[in-house]
Amino acid sequence: MAPQPVALDELLDELRQLRARVPHLTGSLAASADGLVLAEDAGGVEAEGTAALTAAALGVALRLADVTGSGGFRELVLRGETGYVATYAAGPTAVLTVLAEPRANVGRLHLEARRAGVRIAELVHHGAVPATGRPLPEPGRTAGTRSPLPRRRPDSAQGPDAAGGSVPVGGPDPSTAAPAPPPPPGSATAPQARPSARTGVRRGGGAAETTAGSPVDGPRES
Amino acid sequence: MANTEASLKEAMTIDGAIGAALVDYSSGMALGTIGGTKDLDLDVAAAGNTDVVRAKVRTMEHLGLQEEIEDVLITLGSQYHLIRLLTSASDNGLFLYLALDRGRANLAMARHQLKRIENQLEV
Repeated sequence: MAPQPVALDELLDELRQLRARVPHLTGSLAASADGLVLAEDAGGVEAEGTAALTAAALGVALRLADVTGSGGFRELVLRGETGYVATYAAGPTAVLTVLAEPRANVGRLHLEARRAGVRIAELVHHGAVPATGRPLPEPGRTAGTRSPLPRRRPDSAQGPDAAGGSVPVGGPDPSTAAPAPPPPPGSATAPQARPSARTGVRRGGGAAETTAGSPVDGPRES
Repeated sequence: MANTEASLKEAMTIDGAIGAALVDYSSGMALGTIGGTKDLDLDVAAAGNTDVVRAKVRTMEHLGLQEEIEDVLITLGSQYHLIRLLTSASDNGLFLYLALDRGRANLAMARHQLKRIENQLEV
């Protein structure tokens, strides 16, 4: 997986094409899932900061999708008073973040940015662009790879001990949840947790678990 | 008064109808779609026709025309595409989009029916 910088040009090219295709798009950047800029055409916006914040927002989005059983991450759209910020999945290790004016055609933005996300995923996935840092959590490893998530895991791992799932689904008592150690990354914690009755209720029987955090799903859409 | 779903269903009863959508042209997103084919993706049509409507609105501004668009007709070789802007105060910024098979449709009747559907529509 030797970095081949030439693909960075292709990546940048993809971002420029996106800008050309969508009117009122003010900037875009491709970033790794942990917040490092891969390529940017951000039009004056501070790319590093935006990429880092994208990663933070992505972390919350992944958890929210997981907890609500919404499956893997596809996109995140923020509408501010003076513009849009949208983040699209681009393979398992990267995202595409797009900035647009408030009058942008969001329908068109979705169509074009989803396609661009697929192509960026191809560029990144073939190892042409250095895969910086950690990938997005893979199925079954969600808890191990992201620091905010283990809090939820002890809660579910505790299930079988806690009198057959009589503990309310919402918010475990911090005093009981705290002593449970976070599972080691990549361990078999997830399969162990699954027999818990509550796990099924909360995550739709592990269906979300297998898809959560696999933005590589993106290509399926087109 | 009819809601979005009922209105779209009624639009599909128009002779020759292939697909219909209710679109918010401030965002380019469809509030509802019905019908469509493999070759007619209504979400793509919603986004694309948003650009059509916006371009016409802008052109009229540039021409100094103080008018409202009532409808837009696009004639293809085998289809008619009708765009009808919603005019009631509460439904501003929306349009109905109707794709018709040119061989089966009666344009005058379709336009008349779409106007009636628009008048009854309450989002």
